[in-house]
Amino acid sequence: MALRSQLLKGVLDACVMAVVEEQPVYGYELSQKLQGIGLPDISDGTIYPVLLRLQKNGFIRGEMRPSASGPNRKYYFLTDEGKAELDQISAEWLEIAKPVSQLLKRGGEDEENS
Amino acid sequence: MRKTAELIEENNEKRGLLNHDNEKVYEDILLYLRTDLRIDEHAGEEILMDLLDHLVEAQEDGKSAKELFGESPQKYADELIENLPSQNRRNVLWFSASQIIGLTGWFAATFGVISLIVSFFRPVDNSIALGNLLLMLLSVILVAVIGVMVIFKIVRSSVFQKDKKKWQAYVKAGLYGAGAFACVALIAWLFDDFGPVVKLEWWIFLLTGLVFLAVSKLMYKRTE
Repeated sequence: MALRSQLLKGVLDACVMAVVEEQPVYGYELSQKLQGIGLPDISDGTIYPVLLRLQKNGFIRGEMRPSASGPNRKYYFLTDEGKAELDQISAEWLEIAKPVSQLLKRGGEDEENS
Repeated sequence: MRKTAELIEENNEKRGLLNHDNEKVYEDILLYLRTDLRIDEHAGEEILMDLLDHLVEAQEDGKSAKELFGESPQKYADELIENLPSQNRRNVLWFSASQIIGLTGWFAATFGVISLIVSFFRPVDNSIALGNLLLMLLSVILVAVIGVMVIFKIVRSSVFQKDKKKWQAYVKAGLYGAGAFACVALIAWLFDDFGPVVKLEWWIFLLTGLVFLAVSKLMYKRTE
């Protein structure tokens, strides 16, 4: 179980950093974007422990800014360390993603189910 | 950067935007985080503000607190705490010292005001044994420090429970507080005067108290 949640944590960290890299976002926006990408199981609250962890590690930082809708929000930015970490995770992920999905797709290519 | 005190004030105002059910869940999480003395206060208030903003926006989109915090708010809060930076030691020291000096300040100022009021009705014997004064002060500080820890623990254990359990916890905490101050009174009553006796007018207490309160405030500012 520990390994399983470790793995999910790593993937989620990378997803959050990738969204933040594209454009600084605040919490609610971030959760909307992740859901928009089609990650179904990321409930709204899941991102906050991730954001805290990433901040603690110095991969992202928060800054108060006025939001599009008016009130000030804490926007998250990717730091240089975060960029390096994201590059590394992405490289590792891309290396394993294809063979792992191939392997886990048991039953052959034509039986793809969503 | 917003100051911790400003965040707390803003939080108090914004909570009014939540509907009854959402406010209940949110306040449980708030209480649980704020009574955790291990975490960095400012970081804690920042994430509480993030969550509140999120919840307000989600509410407008017709979502509930359950969708944000999941089935077990306590588990969720534990996960937040696990990822929050811990209070640094220097800050803990400054904070504790500022609270103790502040408490002593209140104690002295209140005593000064009471002596003044009493002096209108009857002559006040303002000679005081320094030994007793010190003993009283130490026991008040000790009771307050232990009290905060015990009361926080009782409150934390009841946070995510039903209302009835919460009431039981508040009664327990209240009884503890009353018992603690009965102890202080008992100590004062049990010990005969000792140590050199000095005469201190009411205004000396009041002035000392106010100075202590100011010092405490300055020290607290340093922790922010």
